Amino acid sequence: MADTLLKVSRLHKSFGAVMATNNLSLDITRGHIHALIGPNGAGKTTLVNQLSGDMQADSGTIHFLSRDITRLKSYRRAQMGIARSFQITHIFENLTVAENMGLAICAGLGHNFKFWRHWRNTAAIKSELPIALERVDLIHRAELTARHLSHGEKRQLEVGMALVGKPELLILDEPMAGLGPGGTVELAKLIKKQKGRVTILLVEHDMDVVFSLADRVTVLVYGENIATGSPEEIRNNPVVRKAYLGEGG
Amino acid sequence: MNRKQITLWCGAIILILLPPFALQTGSPYLLSLGSRILIYALAAVSLDLLLGYGAMISLGHAAFVGVGAYTVGILHFHSSAAEPVLTWPFLFTGSDNGLLVLPLAALTAAFAALIIGALCLRTIGMHFIMITLAFAQMLYYFFISLEKYGGDDGLSLAARNSLPGLDLGQGSHFYYLCLAALFLFLFFAHKLVNSRFGLIIRGAGNNDRRIKGLGIHSYRYKLTTFVIAGGSAGLAGALLANQTEFVSPGLMHWTLSGELMVMVLLGGLGTLFGPVLGAAVFLLLEETLAMYTEHWMIYMGPFLVLTVIFAKHGLFGFLSGDKEKNG
Repeated sequence: MADTLLKVSRLHKSFGAVMATNNLSLDITRGHIHALIGPNGAGKTTLVNQLSGDMQADSGTIHFLSRDITRLKSYRRAQMGIARSFQITHIFENLTVAENMGLAICAGLGHNFKFWRHWRNTAAIKSELPIALERVDLIHRAELTARHLSHGEKRQLEVGMALVGKPELLILDEPMAGLGPGGTVELAKLIKKQKGRVTILLVEHDMDVVFSLADRVTVLVYGENIATGSPEEIRNNPVVRKAYLGEGG
Repeated sequence: MNRKQITLWCGAIILILLPPFALQTGSPYLLSLGSRILIYALAAVSLDLLLGYGAMISLGHAAFVGVGAYTVGILHFHSSAAEPVLTWPFLFTGSDNGLLVLPLAALTAAFAALIIGALCLRTIGMHFIMITLAFAQMLYYFFISLEKYGGDDGLSLAARNSLPGLDLGQGSHFYYLCLAALFLFLFFAHKLVNSRFGLIIRGAGNNDRRIKGLGIHSYRYKLTTFVIAGGSAGLAGALLANQTEFVSPGLMHWTLSGELMVMVLLGGLGTLFGPVLGAAVFLLLEETLAMYTEHWMIYMGPFLVLTVIFAKHGLFGFLSGDKEKNG
């Protein structure tokens, strides 16, 4: 019996007449890289938003660590160990790289009503900041304002921030989108390094990346889970081939 | 020493040396103008915490200036009428003692900010701007209708508050009190924005959704900032009441909120020290332009527009060569 970290049951979400999530059930096993693929408009980001708490489901349940989190707010879910990166890069553009990472560390420190001492002089930040920056190869960029980073570096920073809190589940929403081939390789290496340490839900378009990294793959079409299995099973699944792979290549 | 530090030291030295200079040249009006600049600067710096760091665009900051000023006015009124402010649930008499009145003004304004902030911070963007404005206007009309405290005409103070060892009736004593208040607050605010608390406020100002994604409940941090800013605006109001020896509902009017906002933008949003410069330039321009025309705003407007367009971080950013804000 596999150790289930996240369990989604019969989830529904519609926008007017559009069923963005349709009777969707999904189990994510601890330690896996679980990929979520599907054509444009399949409802991948909508599902991710419901998992992270940025959107509320219409019906159905989400269990995380065997607790019902369906109605929890996003910051409560983050405290429980769900970290996410966004499809559109989502960092603090006006703050420096170090400050961005510092904020991610602060998030794990309980309350932050510390008004006097410089934020860098907190013991936890002093010890963790260099490690966190090193992990995503950004230590030489620490004092740069984040908006001046290259696109790939912004992604690295974002993933690095998500990893700081030692999350149970890391949701990466199209991390490779808009990256050049070099950036994609870098980031894939970085994700692979985390394999086994953290459970990852990877939403991705790039099939090479998905099939090289994932332990399990779920295919979403029109908000429905049409198939879940190992990369090999998915590659050979006739329904999937027809609905998705056949079209996209 | 870099350019920013040189700018700051020059500013501090000018402010410290103003009273002896005014005395030498026999121009005491400089002292009252200087005091006014310091008081407005204090209010503008507190507003900068909201605008420049937390991106909370409050158009009702004058409400807290007014609450602070009325605390001074009302306590003075009851002290000279020898009639207690409260008899129930405890006896509370009026007072002119600055040691009591000034902190109380800040606390009252902070309390008002706690209530108003708790409601306003549930909204964002345009709604936040409008609801802060609405609360300030509500207080404005409330004080207009308070006949006992002068209503529309306001309250006159017979004398300034008393402080041990100081004679606030003397221009230079009062000036240095304002200067000390401003310096202390700047020091505190500078520490604040670079602390862990400040980092979270700056993060929330930059990208509130991301802060929540990190698991930080930004509402409490924003509310605390709102209360700190409200309290220090209240202190500015209390000093202003002492400076003019007069309190009126006009202090709560949205035009004062707007003027404070202009000072922040002029001096440099998110620079803390910029709003001091902004207050000085604004009041000096007002003073000189008003000598030539009563429509001095006609000249102020284009000046503000040009500053905002060409000096991205305001006059302070221009002087200090500061390219990044929040520094």
